[in-house]
Amino acid sequence: MAIGTVLRNEVQLLKADRLLVAALVVFAVLFSYALANGVAWASKLEGTVEAVRAADAERAASLVEELEHIAAGGDPVSRFTDPRSPNVMGGARGAVTAVLEPGPLAALSAGQTDLLPYYYDVSIYTNEQTFLQNGEVANPLNLMVGRFDLAFVIVYLLPLLVLALGYNVLSAEREQGTLALTLSQPVSARTVVTAKLLFRGMIVIGVALAASLVGVAVGGGWSAPERVALWCATVVVYSLFWFALAAWVNTLGRSSAWNATALVGAWLALVVVVPSTVNVAAGLLHPPPSRIAMISEARQASNDAVNQRSILLARYLEDHPEMAVGVVPDRRNTAALAWAATEEVNRRLEGVANRHDQALAAQRTMVRRYGLLSPALVAHGVLSSAAGNDDERFERFETQVRGFAEEWKEYFVPAILEGRSMELNAVAERPAFDFVEESQAQVIGRTTLPLLWLTLLAGLAIAPAVVGLGRVRGAE
Amino acid sequence: MITQIARKEFTDLLRDGRFRFSALIVGALLLVSLGVSWTQVRAASAQLEAAEATARDHWDSQGEKNPHSAAHYGIYAFKPRLPLSFIDQGVDPWTGTSVWLEAHRQNDFLMRPAQDATSAQRFGSLTAAGVLQHLVPLLIILLAFGAVAGEREQGTLRQLLASGVGRRQLVAGKALGIAIALSLLVIPAAVLGAIALVIGSNAAGELADRAAVLSLVYVAYFGAFIALSLAVSAWVSSSRVALMSLLALWVVNGLVAPRAAVDLSEWLHPAPTAFEFSRTVEQEMRAGVEGIRPPDRQAITQALLDEHGVESVEELPINVSGVTLQASEEFGNQIFDRNYNALWDTFERQSRVHESLAIVAPLLAVRALSMGLAGTDVEQHRHFATAAETYRRDLMRSMNGDLAQNSRTGETYFADDELWESVPPLEYDAPELAWVLGNRTLSLLMLGGWLLVATAAAVMGARRREDV
Repeated sequence: MAIGTVLRNEVQLLKADRLLVAALVVFAVLFSYALANGVAWASKLEGTVEAVRAADAERAASLVEELEHIAAGGDPVSRFTDPRSPNVMGGARGAVTAVLEPGPLAALSAGQTDLLPYYYDVSIYTNEQTFLQNGEVANPLNLMVGRFDLAFVIVYLLPLLVLALGYNVLSAEREQGTLALTLSQPVSARTVVTAKLLFRGMIVIGVALAASLVGVAVGGGWSAPERVALWCATVVVYSLFWFALAAWVNTLGRSSAWNATALVGAWLALVVVVPSTVNVAAGLLHPPPSRIAMISEARQASNDAVNQRSILLARYLEDHPEMAVGVVPDRRNTAALAWAATEEVNRRLEGVANRHDQALAAQRTMVRRYGLLSPALVAHGVLSSAAGNDDERFERFETQVRGFAEEWKEYFVPAILEGRSMELNAVAERPAFDFVEESQAQVIGRTTLPLLWLTLLAGLAIAPAVVGLGRVRGAE
Repeated sequence: MITQIARKEFTDLLRDGRFRFSALIVGALLLVSLGVSWTQVRAASAQLEAAEATARDHWDSQGEKNPHSAAHYGIYAFKPRLPLSFIDQGVDPWTGTSVWLEAHRQNDFLMRPAQDATSAQRFGSLTAAGVLQHLVPLLIILLAFGAVAGEREQGTLRQLLASGVGRRQLVAGKALGIAIALSLLVIPAAVLGAIALVIGSNAAGELADRAAVLSLVYVAYFGAFIALSLAVSAWVSSSRVALMSLLALWVVNGLVAPRAAVDLSEWLHPAPTAFEFSRTVEQEMRAGVEGIRPPDRQAITQALLDEHGVESVEELPINVSGVTLQASEEFGNQIFDRNYNALWDTFERQSRVHESLAIVAPLLAVRALSMGLAGTDVEQHRHFATAAETYRRDLMRSMNGDLAQNSRTGETYFADDELWESVPPLEYDAPELAWVLGNRTLSLLMLGGWLLVATAAAVMGARRREDV
């Protein structure tokens, strides 16, 4: 009954408070803008995926067309692009595109989609250098600043709204002298503050969830209900953390201005300073070896390899007897010799790439560990995992593309070494790429710990708030 | 009188624990970020020099081959970092750092450092520019929100005014006091920065003008924020409202407007997707476009035969392949210019949207100027990309020229180290200060405008109320 009364009172007060209403309107506008941006971005990605797939199909069709033409007694257009040759059908002309579709909730969070490549042309020439390519065409300035999507509004701005709504729930009553009056009623300070914050929390969380669900509905994210649930849970817990922080600061008995300053300071530290410091520290302590070194290594390797192709071929056949049964290395098979040189370059690049991946993995571990200091970083991580546009999904994609490239080579390289021609049926028979999405269990398993940690942080803020509120008396 | 008020304000601030605490934190962050960026820029520059030397060595020692094979082998160019970039790394982590200069193609810059970082990168890096653009204004707000409103609430404003202090004098004195307190923090950092610049670079002399303007830009920015905070403090009814409005302004300035500009700029000036861009270039390279036609080897050969008055290519004193290859380079260059210029122009129009939004967020003007002066904006990336591309074209011209002049059509021809070594290295000069400022006139106007309007508002705000 008491909570109900306070709540009713709050609704009346809120209606009267033009500033608060204005703040909520502003937020509704921000959420809508973020949503419109996210939906536009996701559909741009989907459009590109479609166009890329169409081009892929076109390439396959042109192979089939020419092979049929040759089968009917025609001549190939050019000796260099003869689709029967395995290093043409397996090379650039016959390459297939491995595509990572935008995550199920791409409309909510752009994540790394504007930075990292989400499709690769895979051929026998795919190697570590393939993965050095840029992602989408993007103005570097826009990449630097980051997109105005829902994840941004939730991680950065929502806490500020929470703080604006909650920084003076108790201190204002004290400053206006109404606290003693309120507490003379049969309600405790705990009930008053809980009711006030509950009311404000319902509005804030309600708006955030509503905007998210609209984004899910428009972007077709219902196919992954576990991701939607994960997203919503993060929004709720993250908001709770900030409300609890506001409640706690209110119990310290300082002025409204002091509360506001302290809370903005906390926001600044947790949302801006800690993440950027962790980021700088990770790069400083685990610098990835320079990518430039990879280029130098590739150049050196190809210089070296060109001059000793026959030795390399002999060695390659020794290492991979399964690739070509009975091929004699000193036969004048130029395609085989070229392949041996290519493979030697790849082998040397892998060394550099491995060192690189290790440093990056160490960086990620460090960011995950020290990132725990910042609820914003944790929330951002879980939100982008839920959206399916986080580093991990891109890494998964890259790994699968590497595996696929190996499969592709296993299909074409024996033919190159044996000097065999490809037939028409090879176009359909070649390996195809299918991205294997993380299972529900994997997504949830990976995000449970961070989400629990976020819940714990919220709990850590709630506990002193509850204790502190118990001590508040109307007259001091 | 002004000095007395300033002295009093200054002493008050120094005694204020909150100021000491926050100034200490901001100062520490400023120093740490300067130190970290400085070592990073040094390391990156060393890496770059080594890479350049290796790349040149690969080129020089490629052995005997046909000049066109050498053109296909090509050379790598690496983007240098201006020494001032340790203050503001700007878009550097988000642009590619190296480009392969090869025959027939203008390649993109590859290897954006951001691709090799974790997604925590999206929260921004701790840099001196970040501290100066975001944290110092917040500090100013905390120092100034109560300057007038607080005096009014305590009733001391009436006293002051009654004792004959002019309102303008009051505001000027307050501003001066805050500025002096702030300078205790900023000036040592600036001095350290200047020392680091001199130690870190032998080109510090040439950068002195950029560094000086950079300092002025930040002084103007802080000045605008002091005036703005005092204006708000004078205009509104209570110090609480002053604080809340200033904080809201700070959020719009540092958070909402910059991000909003990103998507807005892309709505207004959409860039093609990577797929569309490469497809267009590919198509135009194949079939030509709008009067730009691929070269016709037969026509070129016939023209050469006519010119030299001979019957067969064997009799020509030059190699037709060299001439045709050069013609195809010229054709490709036109296609690349068309497409890349359009793309860069789109980026510049997008940057202009960011700058225009400085009308609500002075940070956007300061950021554009700061990156420009530090040599880390998109325009200066383009400047280097253009220089690298010009170098590529010269390189191709000299390879094709050698092929055309020193061999005959159809014969096997190899050039050697002498030709490779005759290619001059890529010498890049960063643009002059005037060029940078010319790109940024809009931001200069915006920043000047903010400073003027905020000062006027502070002066008028002081006069507004009948406090006596």
